[in-house]
Amino acid sequence: MKKHYIQKAACLFIAVVLFAASGCQKLLEENPRSSIAPTFFETPAGILGGIAGVYSDLRNLWGTEGFGATCVAGTDEHKMGGSASGQTFYTYNGLDLNGMSGLWSIAYQDINTLNGVIEKAPAVSLDDNTRKVYVAQAKFLRAFYYFHLAETFGDVPLHMTFLTTASTADSRQPIADVYDSVIVDLNAAIAGLPATPTAPFGGKAATIAAAKFLLAKVYLTRGWSTAAQSGDFTQAYTIANDLITNKATYGLNLWQDYADVNKDGNDYGKEAIFCIDHNNDAKFGDWSSQASGGKINIMASLYRPNYPTMNANFPASGGSTVMVRDVANGRPFIRTTPNTGYIYGQAFAERVNDARYDKSFQTVWICNTAANVTTPRGTLVVGKDTAIWMPSYEVSASRVANFKGIILTPTGANGANKYTNVFFPALSKFNDPSRANMNDPSDRPLDIMRFAEVYLIAAEAAFKGGGTLQNAADMINVVRTRAAYRASYPTGQTLASSVAAMQITSADVTLDFILDERSRELYGELVRWWDLVRTQSLVQRVTLWNTEASPYIKDYHVLRPIPQTSEIDLVTSGPKFPQNTGY
Amino acid sequence: MLISGVCSLLLVGGTFRVLASSGLNSNSSGDLQQRNLTGKVVDANNNPMAGVNVLEKGTANGVLTGVDGKFSISVSSPNSVLLFSFIGYESKEVVAGSQSVVNVSLSESVTGLNEVVVIGYGTVKKSDVTGSVASINSTKLQTVQVPNVIAQLKGQTAGVDIQSNSSNPGSSGQIRIRGERSLTGSNDPLLVVDGIPYSGSINDLNPSDIVSVDILKDASATAIYGFRGSNGVIIISTKRGKSGKSVISFDSYYGITNVMSELRLFTGQELADFKAQAALGNTVTPGTNPYGLTTVEQTGLTNGVDTDWQKLIFQPGFTSDQELGVTGGNEATQFSLGVGYYNETGIIPHQRYERYNLRTTIDHQISKKIKVGLNSLNTLNFTNVAGNPVGTMMAMSPLVSPYNADGTINTYPMTGNIDQMVYANPLTINLTNSIYNNSRRIRTFNSLYGEWSILDYLKYRINVGLDFSQTQSGSYYGPNTVFNTGQTLAQATSNVTNTETYTYTIEHLLIFDKTFGKHHIGFTGLFSIQKDHARASGFNGLGMPADQIQNTNMAYASTYTSSGNYLTERGTVSYMGRINYGYSDRYLATVSLRTDGSSVLSPGNKYFTYPAVALAWNAMNEEFMKGFRFLSNLKLRAGWGKTANAGINPYSTLGALSTVNYNFGTTGLTGFLVTSLPNPSLRWESTSSFNGGLDFGFLKNRITGSIDVYNQRTHDILLSQSLPRSNGASSIIVNAGKTKGEGIEINLSTVNVELSNSFRWATDFMFSINKTQIVALQDTSLKMDIGNGWFVGQPLTVIYDLKKIGIWQTSDATDMAAQTTPVQFVGQVRVQDLNGDHKINAADRQVLGNFQPKWIGSFTTNFEFKGIELSAMAYARMGMMIAVPYLTADGGANGFPMFMQSRRNQLKIDYWTPTNPTNAFPRPDASRDNPLYGSTLGYVDGSFIKVRTISLSYTFPVSLIQKAKIDFLKVYVNILNPCVLYSPFVKAGYGPDPEGNGYGGTVGSPSAGGSTSIPSRAITVNANTPATRQINFGLSLKF
Repeated sequence: MKKHYIQKAACLFIAVVLFAASGCQKLLEENPRSSIAPTFFETPAGILGGIAGVYSDLRNLWGTEGFGATCVAGTDEHKMGGSASGQTFYTYNGLDLNGMSGLWSIAYQDINTLNGVIEKAPAVSLDDNTRKVYVAQAKFLRAFYYFHLAETFGDVPLHMTFLTTASTADSRQPIADVYDSVIVDLNAAIAGLPATPTAPFGGKAATIAAAKFLLAKVYLTRGWSTAAQSGDFTQAYTIANDLITNKATYGLNLWQDYADVNKDGNDYGKEAIFCIDHNNDAKFGDWSSQASGGKINIMASLYRPNYPTMNANFPASGGSTVMVRDVANGRPFIRTTPNTGYIYGQAFAERVNDARYDKSFQTVWICNTAANVTTPRGTLVVGKDTAIWMPSYEVSASRVANFKGIILTPTGANGANKYTNVFFPALSKFNDPSRANMNDPSDRPLDIMRFAEVYLIAAEAAFKGGGTLQNAADMINVVRTRAAYRASYPTGQTLASSVAAMQITSADVTLDFILDERSRELYGELVRWWDLVRTQSLVQRVTLWNTEASPYIKDYHVLRPIPQTSEIDLVTSGPKFPQNTGY
Repeated sequence: MLISGVCSLLLVGGTFRVLASSGLNSNSSGDLQQRNLTGKVVDANNNPMAGVNVLEKGTANGVLTGVDGKFSISVSSPNSVLLFSFIGYESKEVVAGSQSVVNVSLSESVTGLNEVVVIGYGTVKKSDVTGSVASINSTKLQTVQVPNVIAQLKGQTAGVDIQSNSSNPGSSGQIRIRGERSLTGSNDPLLVVDGIPYSGSINDLNPSDIVSVDILKDASATAIYGFRGSNGVIIISTKRGKSGKSVISFDSYYGITNVMSELRLFTGQELADFKAQAALGNTVTPGTNPYGLTTVEQTGLTNGVDTDWQKLIFQPGFTSDQELGVTGGNEATQFSLGVGYYNETGIIPHQRYERYNLRTTIDHQISKKIKVGLNSLNTLNFTNVAGNPVGTMMAMSPLVSPYNADGTINTYPMTGNIDQMVYANPLTINLTNSIYNNSRRIRTFNSLYGEWSILDYLKYRINVGLDFSQTQSGSYYGPNTVFNTGQTLAQATSNVTNTETYTYTIEHLLIFDKTFGKHHIGFTGLFSIQKDHARASGFNGLGMPADQIQNTNMAYASTYTSSGNYLTERGTVSYMGRINYGYSDRYLATVSLRTDGSSVLSPGNKYFTYPAVALAWNAMNEEFMKGFRFLSNLKLRAGWGKTANAGINPYSTLGALSTVNYNFGTTGLTGFLVTSLPNPSLRWESTSSFNGGLDFGFLKNRITGSIDVYNQRTHDILLSQSLPRSNGASSIIVNAGKTKGEGIEINLSTVNVELSNSFRWATDFMFSINKTQIVALQDTSLKMDIGNGWFVGQPLTVIYDLKKIGIWQTSDATDMAAQTTPVQFVGQVRVQDLNGDHKINAADRQVLGNFQPKWIGSFTTNFEFKGIELSAMAYARMGMMIAVPYLTADGGANGFPMFMQSRRNQLKIDYWTPTNPTNAFPRPDASRDNPLYGSTLGYVDGSFIKVRTISLSYTFPVSLIQKAKIDFLKVYVNILNPCVLYSPFVKAGYGPDPEGNGYGGTVGSPSAGGSTSIPSRAITVNANTPATRQINFGLSLKF
């Protein structure tokens, strides 16, 4: 009996030891299954995935609130809304040293991924044509990032190889070198990309047209910069002109009606060259209901006034609200307001023949409350009466006294109310009236390169010597002619009369005119800060027009601060990483 | 002392001297001198004691007493000495002499010197311990009625710091033994349950199943656990059966929980005033406030509406715990069975924690040489925490009514407010169909062993651990509720996640133990392997046709995405040897060596070896000490050891791509980004530590205690190092830097008054200081790594920010004008211009404080009088900062720090106005969504002294309950968290309790180049479930 147990125990012991010993080495090996290591870039799916990953990361910048504000804040066009975020970018008062860390971090993360794609692609088993397109996509995106880094920060680190080991050292390269590499990349992209979007890069992903647009802008920007080379403006003009001449090849053209450019339903239209794509797919669109942050297109909410809080007795309190939030009128973020003096006094001073003001701004809110609302001047009928009216001009005292709703005007003359930083005309360009819920983010693609701008790039290049002043006037007139179009005209006005009134001559072409024209055409479209910096007009224009920022703006503000905590503080070996002067 | 008898000590291995002879008397020499002795062992109350070890001293001859306390033993001579011992009782020696009947009465041990202490892969007598080990028995733990043992351990022993990290039902707290060492790796100690490393949730262990907890604190003790022991080891022993009469036990308590106190928010009138002041303080458009009173609020103010949203939501929580157990057995087989049910509801609707336990242990002596046993702990638990409405309750206007005129709930009561549709009525939390969040886990933790006594002094033991758990968690948030302000079912969100984990452990042990004259030698050899496996998959749905479906049928969701998927495995192989040497009960030494191999590191770096040595001197046993009568115990200990930590996740050295998605028009593609770089050179992070200790007892151990001092150095620390972003990846794990820790721990127990059989007053005092600081960073020349928040000479987690020195006052006009950047206004936060350049920027940041307490202490007082016992414990953590995000942001704090703007309601604070020129909080400013330098408002002195428990119990005298065949009956009432005695945080009105209830977070938004994210490892006081107070009523019964 006793022996029996001992034998059994001994057998068990031997069995277990043998089992354990054989399993030992295997136990210490790692075989990841649910995660993917960087070696994945050595496969075809990895190459394509790297490109798609970078496109996806662009959603973290263009279309978001934080980055969006830095593209337009602190310029002649915009002032702080009542709920502005990133306020120091509007005023330059103690500018947030970390405010640009999003662009910085995302750009370099994506550049490294793109470097991996470009470096590994030659050895990956792909057919040559596919490989060519993939590499061209990657080079376009790399150039896109380096261009924006250079125009935002000046000299920046220039990494063109795949980094797989960490380093706490880095240094800035001259902006001239950065531009050189951007131009090389874009030329390679032009050689490899298709003329129009081709699967799998559908929507409005990079094409030859997008690369040429960018290249024209790069030459234009370099031409203005300290790294200017002779012929930059000529290059810019030539490339832009080539896009215009061959627009049919690239499937591009202007819409007849400016209102159609940004209309919901015209997405991926003929005027869109390159967009940050979105849809309402929870997975591929990164979309979620009522999201207010993250990788969403929140543009429709940023330039919107707080219309649902307007009360019937305004400016006194105590009345019922005359509006409620709904899908058509959108979700008010109140982040940015038009800079009234510049908008009404300068950029959009002409609002009769130029239809673009009316087609860019919402100025009328029809009462949409549950029940009729009574103001001191009468009862607003739901769905019929205008509850809030924000004409772009001053109205007569009798009009104010007899209007049932609330009137706000640029100066508040004759007893009307003045626009405030909470109640102001809403930018309607990014509206998405087909959303399910009024608090949903937009599921529309966001255009960041538009065909109309090609004419303005060409005009600016011509003005700077890349062409003649007449070339510049001609280019601008194309845009202005389209701007004259309305579906119907007020009495005394026709298409012909408006078009005629809109034409300019070479004598009209000045830098200020070009910049004003850019405001009219591109107001709110995330380019203004760079436009003013490129044309060396930032300080002068802000001082002239923007009372909020003029006390604080300094010459050094033409470059953004290098992110303090995500770059400068972290360069802990080698030479210190220098901050831009002044910060 | 309730360590359940000799059997449990046998099971844990080590001292098998007793086993070899117990009840299986093998003395078959047939010596004619042999004669039989019988007798009975009783305790101080004359109750028979079963399971007492009766040993003929100096031999292996021994027996155990039976159920009736009786024993029978053959001794070899009249000079034989019988040694009677039982855990928790004073041992007694009796000379056999000529008597044939020996009756003995054992008294409970005061000193506990003969207690058995579990030291890992074995046990030793407390007097033989060489390292720094604290033992806490279940009686002491169970005066604190909480759902897990970690929460019970708070304040119980020096050097073990337990911080609250949540007030939700079923929360456990964060445990740190001798502070923190690792910056990125885990600082959690290793849990060992019945000899097997345990990595599951602490909530899966029923505290009622636990009989003792031993905590190994210093490296000389923990090194035998290798890398897993680097943060200390908590060894948990569960109840085992013991031979003798079957004992049925029943323990039960009921408790009521209430919020300690509500957060102090603005009342209706105060909010109206605040809004008016925010208009006056508007720095952009003075005199205006886009967030002024709405029409409804104005009416509410006129009509005296003043809704206390907290009162509407907070409710009493109820706790119930029922435990039924049976133990028993005979000399060959012992068993224990237990079933338990625990149920706790929170102070917020939908918060609930429920647990079912089933425990079986069996120990069986197959033959004289072979013994086997099984311990199976099975748990089914449900955790329900639907969400936290506290942020919404803080933000809701008190000037609006929660109900419509017809009495129904007004879903979005803040009519006209910009945030009306963002903040739904907190009362919607009561919509049971719309809100569901539950996690159900089933865990079965099994340890088996087999023991083969090869020789009297040599035995082989195998331990096999099998731990399996499966968790199904899921949630549903319907529209128009406080947690989902979507207005249609298309926006309903649902989730299902399944997680399974298993771990198997196989340990082979060879144990030698022999005494040669005055030399006692023990050796333990170990070979073990462990494999951990975890796998999870999850689905999120958007849109549901009806609330009632919740997450029961994800196919109904309009769209779904998958998230939370992973499969990770980790393997460990270990070898260990330990020698214990004792000479004449005076000089003791322990030497151990362990080698661990781990799969998570790259080839070439997989193995690490841990040496440890410890010495102890029982000075009391020296002849020359006999003269010091007042002294009853004196022991000196010293130890050194090395531990290590491979605290990185599997596959970390390989680098990883993160997955993102994009739609090219209608074509969806999955994309990849390089976010984590490969790093094959990662090594083990190692800590070497020295410990010196002194155990003492005076006046027949009326005063006992210990003092330990230690110092530890950690090298090659695994750091998640942030990288300059221009290099592509945001961070990488590296071995870099050194930290050091020093500390002192004092435990002191005194019996102040002891009147025989009537009154006893005893006190326990615990005090510890732990100071950890960074000695070197990744590059030895580097003194500060601001980006990562690491500073040489500072603790591991510090607050680095601008320093608030007050509020700009009208009288500061000159200083204010001198500051060129930024231009500030009177009433704004004034921060220190550290470098005096009249600019406030990144260069003005400084270390403001840290989260490490200067000292921790506790004081327990205990009165006993004729069965009545009254005890209370006070607990203190002093001299650390805490971060309080809601002092800088509205309660929502989800990226919108709308604090001081008057847009939403918020904590009532002492804010600046022209007539109240305070230096506490700035002037409200309707134009700013966060106050300038708002982050500086969120750092508060977190020191506190609290009464942790007060408990009163009555144990019925045996004479009274005997007739009912009851052996033991105790009834009690206790209060958890009765009051805060000292806290600057509470005094300032910032909240009810300075103890934390969440991790990390962001305090405000900086405006001048300062990162103010609180490191995610820091516990913060946030707008989560507030602290609670609990009263329990219970009884404990044995028959």
